[in-house]
Amino acid sequence: MKTSSKTKLAQSVALLGTLALLATGCSNADDAAKADPASADNPVTLTVTTFGAMGLDDLYEKYEKENPGVTIEATNIDTGGNALVDWKTKQASGAGLPDIQAVEEGWLGQVMAVSDSFSDLRDYGIEDLKSQWVDWKVEQATDKDGRIIGYGTDIGPEGICFNSKLLEKAGMPSERSEFAEFIGGQDSTWEDYFAAGKKYEEKTGKAWFDQSGFVWNAMVNQLDEGYYKKDGSLNIDGNAELSNRWKMLADATEAGLSSGQTQWDWGKGQAFLDGSFATMPCPGWMLGNVKGQVEGAGGDATSGWDFAGVFPGGPANWGGTFLTIPTTSKNPVEAAKLATWLTNAQSQAAAFEAAGTFPSNLEAQSSEQVLGSNELTKFFNDAPIGQLLAERAEGVKAQFKGADDSVIQEQVFGPATIALDGGKDGQAAWDEAMSTMKNLDIK
Amino acid sequence: MSIMTNNASDATGDTVPPGEPTPDATYRAGDPVQEKKMRRRHRWGQFDFKYSPYLYVSPFFILFALVGLFPLIYTFVVSINDWDLLGGAGEWVGLDNYVAEISSPLFWNSLFNTFSIFLLSAIPQLLVATFIAAILDQNIRAKTFWRMSVLIPYVVTPVAVTLIFSSAFDEKYGLINNLLQTINIDPVAWKSEVIPSHLAIATMVNWRWTGYNALILLAAMQAVPRELHESAAIDGAGSLRRFFAITLPSIRPTMIFVVITATIGGLQIFTEPKLFNPSSSVPGGPEREYQTTVLYLWDLAFNRGDFGRASAVAWMLFLIIILIGLINFFLSGSIASSSEGGSRKNRRQQRRAHKHAVQMAQSKIASNRMSGSNVTAGEKGGESHE
Repeated sequence: MKTSSKTKLAQSVALLGTLALLATGCSNADDAAKADPASADNPVTLTVTTFGAMGLDDLYEKYEKENPGVTIEATNIDTGGNALVDWKTKQASGAGLPDIQAVEEGWLGQVMAVSDSFSDLRDYGIEDLKSQWVDWKVEQATDKDGRIIGYGTDIGPEGICFNSKLLEKAGMPSERSEFAEFIGGQDSTWEDYFAAGKKYEEKTGKAWFDQSGFVWNAMVNQLDEGYYKKDGSLNIDGNAELSNRWKMLADATEAGLSSGQTQWDWGKGQAFLDGSFATMPCPGWMLGNVKGQVEGAGGDATSGWDFAGVFPGGPANWGGTFLTIPTTSKNPVEAAKLATWLTNAQSQAAAFEAAGTFPSNLEAQSSEQVLGSNELTKFFNDAPIGQLLAERAEGVKAQFKGADDSVIQEQVFGPATIALDGGKDGQAAWDEAMSTMKNLDIK
Repeated sequence: MSIMTNNASDATGDTVPPGEPTPDATYRAGDPVQEKKMRRRHRWGQFDFKYSPYLYVSPFFILFALVGLFPLIYTFVVSINDWDLLGGAGEWVGLDNYVAEISSPLFWNSLFNTFSIFLLSAIPQLLVATFIAAILDQNIRAKTFWRMSVLIPYVVTPVAVTLIFSSAFDEKYGLINNLLQTINIDPVAWKSEVIPSHLAIATMVNWRWTGYNALILLAAMQAVPRELHESAAIDGAGSLRRFFAITLPSIRPTMIFVVITATIGGLQIFTEPKLFNPSSSVPGGPEREYQTTVLYLWDLAFNRGDFGRASAVAWMLFLIIILIGLINFFLSGSIASSSEGGSRKNRRQQRRAHKHAVQMAQSKIASNRMSGSNVTAGEKGGESHE
């Protein structure tokens, strides 16, 4: 009895010791698993973090079936913004990163600042695969030392989603090619697009596009240089092209062309069904979102949504994703194998079929799945989505993304476009954006 | 339990259970080895008695040092460096981060939002909680049912509460604006105007915490001696008068506890504003209408990647909470001494006066030949006061 506290002390010391051993032992024990390829006898669990609608879910199952011993634990985060915070948190703490991390184009500025914490994929044979992607996709994933850190998945060539039923009701061109001509055809400019919108607004009293944020992103993304110059310096104050486009957008919202919807919410999809707006800028990956929103609100293909292969202001690219392998991965060989497989032509074609993510993989771009009909084309009034997007991808150039690109997009111009939608004067909203920039210390 | 009793008997080693030979007799008869053993046992017992309590409470303090004190100090170290989230530690900058934040309008905006939401939630919450507690303190049917019912909102996780309220407060498609429009009131911009958004968030906080505080206050009210109420009633005090003159003064210490916990919780509010409009690209509303200080420092750290300045904000918030805690402490001290009596003498006097009042009430009851049940109630009260 009297020794009880002594034994307790000894026990707790022993327990602490064991915990410490466990904690330090973790990192060593797993290195052994790296050498042998995964099999039923050598099971490997790979964690994958993606965001938005990337269309990879069915592929995981297929890969697991084809590769016994591999278990895939996938996490999908709702929006790119949330996924960025998730990645940053884990990157900063140095723990919890998955084996495969999806990285969006908009994060590249920040990712490249710590590019040495991603595996150089040349070690896993990406050099031999380089020609399978559009060239600028690989360029984007190459850091200043020439290391390639990402396998390209999708790119975001933009077209215009439009609701043919609403246009028909307004007595305006509602057939796909007629609509395309209506907003300016292949040489469409933003002036053309807004002019068509004004006609629609005059007839119906309804808005032309859902909200200004996505329009503005497209206007910036299609420029040679966006918020940053190629040399990495800020390119906003005194940028005539940028402020001209801002004025154009402000003029459009003043005319009532924006429905002022909440980004990524759209009244839980209701706004796609109740005629609040008739068009919206749609990068390839957005098509899956539109379908999901409509179906989430109880609608279906009869809601009248269609997709036109034109875009105001010339070819534009919004977003696109890479699969990277953080150096913290305990199974980089297996992870590289999976990522290579997920970005090959067949998988990319399947992902397109599932979510409309337009592949950066050239062979996938011309595959039957991409060009043929599928659930998405059926939803979008049998539009030849693959073909249209392939056309829209021509002439797209990758824009340099600076360190604070996503902060500028979300925290500076995000509120400013909402202010425009709320009826604020263009100049006042711009000035406010500039003072926000100052408050946020963006240099 | 057995260890405890053992300790006790070891420590007071001189006292021996009756019927056993006295220690003197044993020592005289026993050999020196036995004696040595006894002494060692005695010494160990003393050591055990003196130090094991510290050992038993140590897990808390070790854990606190690990997960409380260390992060606190580490945060301070981060705050005096130019520290990037992804890039790690940079140069030592002294108090520059603090200076930058104190001159940042966004920091002050977050403080204003925090205090505004705190006041909008704490004040109505305490008033309503006291009212509910007073109602529950009455002799109502199905007491347990009502008491458990007010606790239900507390059981629901804040995330779920926020999702539901966020949908109800939606500007275009929300339940509340739809209702307002049916009675021809203009829809309110719950998510893009300062005061409406604060009201909406305060509503969520109130929904969650009112019942919880009501139960705590109810417990305090139940500890108020019934005979006080009875004698006051006999003296002709109405229920309202009794509430203000007896109940409220008696639950003051508990009230202060509730105020302090509400303050600490209110100044650290995060979940509700974070999830109120999850699709907003700026946490806390497009123009930071309801960006509270914790949300602001989170944004600073994880969206803008400035760990140094975020840590400086964290430290300033910490100091503000300590300051308010101290103010609360001194306030509660002065209130307690004015009502309950700070000194022992005061309290003794009070107790005597109280006893006297009880006796008076009992004799009054007896002389009034009140019903038997009342007398027993009085006796019970007296007993519990011994």
